[in-house]
Amino acid sequence: MSIAKPLVDYAKSLRPQKGFTQSFSAFKKLMKYHRRYYWFVVAIVILAVIRSVLFSVEPLYTTFIVINVIGPPSNLSLLWGYLVVIILAGIGYAISNFVLIFVHGVMSQYIVRDIRTEYYRSLQGKSFSFYDSVAVGDLTSRATVDLQLVDMFLRTWLGTILNAVFTTIIIIAIILPISSIMTLISMATMPFIFYFTARLWIDTMPLFRNMQLIMGRLTSYIQQNIVGMKTIRIFRREKDVVDGFKEVESIYVNTAISAGKIQSIYMPLGPAILTLGIALVYVYAGYTLGIPGSALAVAQVGDIILFARYMMRLTFPIRDVSQTLGTWIAAYAGLERVLEITDAPRNVEDSPNAKDIKIEKGKLELENVTFGYAKDRPVLNNVTFTVHHGGKIAILGATGSGKSSLIYLIPRFYDIQTGSIRIDGIDIREFKLASLRKQIGVVLQDVFLFSGTIGENIAFGKPSASMDEIVQAAKSARIHAFIESLPLGYDTPVGERGVTLSGGQKQRVTIARALVGNPRILIMDDSLSFVDAKTEQEIQSAIEEATKTRTTLIIAQRFSTIKTAEKILVLENGSVAEFGTHDELMAKNGVYKKVYETQFVQKASPILDEAGGA
Amino acid sequence: MSGSYGTFSTKQEERRKRTVPDRVLIRRVYEYAQAHRTHLMIGISATVAGALTGLASPYMHAIAIDRIITPKNLSGFIWWVPLFVAIIMGNYLFQYIQTYQMRVVGENVVAKMRDDMMEKLQVISLRYFSEGEAGRIISRPTNDANTVRIFLRLGLTSILLDLSSILGAFTIMFYLDLRLSLFAITVLPVAIVLVWFLGKHSRAAYRRTLITTSGLTARMQEDLAGIKVTQAYAQEKETEKKFLKSQDENVKATIRAILIGSSYTPFVIGLRLIGTMIILFYGVNAVLTGTITLGILVAFTEYQFAYFMPLVDLVTMYDQYQSAMSAIERMFDVIDTKVEILDAPPERSIALQ
Repeated sequence: MSIAKPLVDYAKSLRPQKGFTQSFSAFKKLMKYHRRYYWFVVAIVILAVIRSVLFSVEPLYTTFIVINVIGPPSNLSLLWGYLVVIILAGIGYAISNFVLIFVHGVMSQYIVRDIRTEYYRSLQGKSFSFYDSVAVGDLTSRATVDLQLVDMFLRTWLGTILNAVFTTIIIIAIILPISSIMTLISMATMPFIFYFTARLWIDTMPLFRNMQLIMGRLTSYIQQNIVGMKTIRIFRREKDVVDGFKEVESIYVNTAISAGKIQSIYMPLGPAILTLGIALVYVYAGYTLGIPGSALAVAQVGDIILFARYMMRLTFPIRDVSQTLGTWIAAYAGLERVLEITDAPRNVEDSPNAKDIKIEKGKLELENVTFGYAKDRPVLNNVTFTVHHGGKIAILGATGSGKSSLIYLIPRFYDIQTGSIRIDGIDIREFKLASLRKQIGVVLQDVFLFSGTIGENIAFGKPSASMDEIVQAAKSARIHAFIESLPLGYDTPVGERGVTLSGGQKQRVTIARALVGNPRILIMDDSLSFVDAKTEQEIQSAIEEATKTRTTLIIAQRFSTIKTAEKILVLENGSVAEFGTHDELMAKNGVYKKVYETQFVQKASPILDEAGGA
Repeated sequence: MSGSYGTFSTKQEERRKRTVPDRVLIRRVYEYAQAHRTHLMIGISATVAGALTGLASPYMHAIAIDRIITPKNLSGFIWWVPLFVAIIMGNYLFQYIQTYQMRVVGENVVAKMRDDMMEKLQVISLRYFSEGEAGRIISRPTNDANTVRIFLRLGLTSILLDLSSILGAFTIMFYLDLRLSLFAITVLPVAIVLVWFLGKHSRAAYRRTLITTSGLTARMQEDLAGIKVTQAYAQEKETEKKFLKSQDENVKATIRAILIGSSYTPFVIGLRLIGTMIILFYGVNAVLTGTITLGILVAFTEYQFAYFMPLVDLVTMYDQYQSAMSAIERMFDVIDTKVEILDAPPERSIALQ
């Protein structure tokens, strides 16, 4: 099967859907975000009225100049007065326009900020299961690229729509007293313009939506390709990758061209129809001018010029509205992608009566614990065991046996389905999440360090930690000497742009990080495989020191780790296969003994299985 | 402090000066467009024709005023109306052709460049894909390609349209009346200098928003990559504080850019007003002395409108043009990367026994 098959199938499966109602509900949601900025909206409405009024002054007064200054009869003395009015109105227009753009822009920034903050907060609360199934790049691009599209719409939308409405109203108010029939004729084109603008919107919206969906998938496809380039090279799948990409790209191009075809038909139509309206006015004027005694026979040339000029002025707001509708199509798809995440329920939450509870001793009990990522497929089945305070349990099991899942249940990274987990006799769901997690030291399998200094990273769990506490933790993790050897010591920058630490060094920093709060319970996913003997010994010594006085659950890859454990728990297909001390299990002559003999005795640096497995 | 590393490097990235001259880049993009040359030529011709037919409209009004309405020679409408309608239909048709043909060219060119990039990425040395570089490489076939796509979809046609509108308006104005045209364009040099000067400030402000946006993106990316650690230590509030700070910087920079960017519109409108004043003042006198007709005066005020707006548009387009050029340069950077390890030619390949 080609690597790209799911993507190609997805792109092919997209059918243009009428997204009108969805778009409407997305718009309503967007309006909700405007509520906080009520006064901005009011200011924009007022400014839009002023702007539209002042915008209409110039054509009116140039017509006055034509009628009253040029005449006949000509009267040059009036010219200056009219010019002053035009200038003043122009300045007023320029200023109100400037203020409106600015106020609108500020409001858009505040709203985008609110949407993004809400999105970020919701991400903070999502559980590990959520993060197991999403790509970080995709989540980031929703908050940046997609919100940028929303921003583009928010910057101008209200001003543009109000401008079209008010300008039309004011122009009608000015031309109606001159000739109601001519007004009717010139406005007769309006319904057609509305109709074609709506058609443009309704017909292209599903296409643009599909384009954005394809583009989103294509982007994560490219990301996966680049991140996993090594694997692709090893398995020689380069051609597959490119062929699939080209196929989807061509679907995108075809959709874009179809959308372009619709746009090219409808977009220039509005102004064209409006201009035809002007021709109609001329025809009518010409016709009535010819009838002696008719209303227009005595009307002046200036009136007809006025009509024509105002009609031409209307083309700008109409064009802007159709452009704003275009930005809405993009914004709507973007907003949907953001809210989809924000509105998704969080699955691990504080229970209503949760409290801050201090863990005094750290006795850990698991009773009939059953857990699965999907309801009907349990990863752990009826797991029961107890660790006395200060006790140390090593967990052994093949990939997929449920080791990581088991230890991650203690700080509630996932919630169990049935059974109970108790610390010092108290169910963990009675703890507030933050209270529970702050008191459990966790060393994750993935040794992630934030950009910042080594010191900041060690103090991550307790930003208020003193230098002494940091050094103490580093000493326990056997990394202090190394840090001191760096020119900047604890102030050495690490992370993506800082110094490069080896895997073993990183792991010891993460152990130090877990120790800073002096937690009663320590959970370690020691799955770091493929390290050299010296590093292994250093890590080992760090683990030994760190676990001395703490209740510890540790996923062990090395015999040296297992050796120091008080008891060993062997997991098989999500159930406890064996539980006891090394000697007890050896005497039992079961799974443990087999693993011990085949894996640990024969190999110098034994590895039970590859790192991995939830 | 801890967030400064990500931001710092992107800052350098944004500030990196372009080294390949525009004409080289344009020529290379043109090579890609060669495959769609017919579409391109039809598209460009339609753009120019569209601009010119658009400009014919005020002139037609001048004719209507001078030859038909003022002398009450109404039979003139018999030829005027069909001609006017024909020009509008022509204008519509040209715009339709232009939008469609340019879309075909633009989409295909960007798609081909992306395909070439993807093909190249599969064969270049793996050392390009080292940890810190992944984000930068990913942005080339995605963000950069998107910038170029948007530029080709909207920017390029706007530039063509604006240029032909400006040149066309000048041609018609000078044809209608030389003296009045000279008066009308007196504000032009001032406008160009002013818009250029303010544009420079707005570009600087815009670049700052790009930097803060990269900082925000880097922050978000890192926070999410380390989210499990953050949750494990219940430090959500702390990381959120840093994120909000980074976001506030971005909001502030963007608001500043909006302020500076919108501040030149009053000046431009003011200058246009002065231009209109000059035209009206001299125009009215000229009409009264019989040097020009009323229709020409009205047409002039419209043409003044017709070239000023595209002029402002062109200046604002400069940013888009620049960022598209940088994106194109980065894309060719990938396409031109030398392949270090090549497969042996087939005749020399050895089958493993």
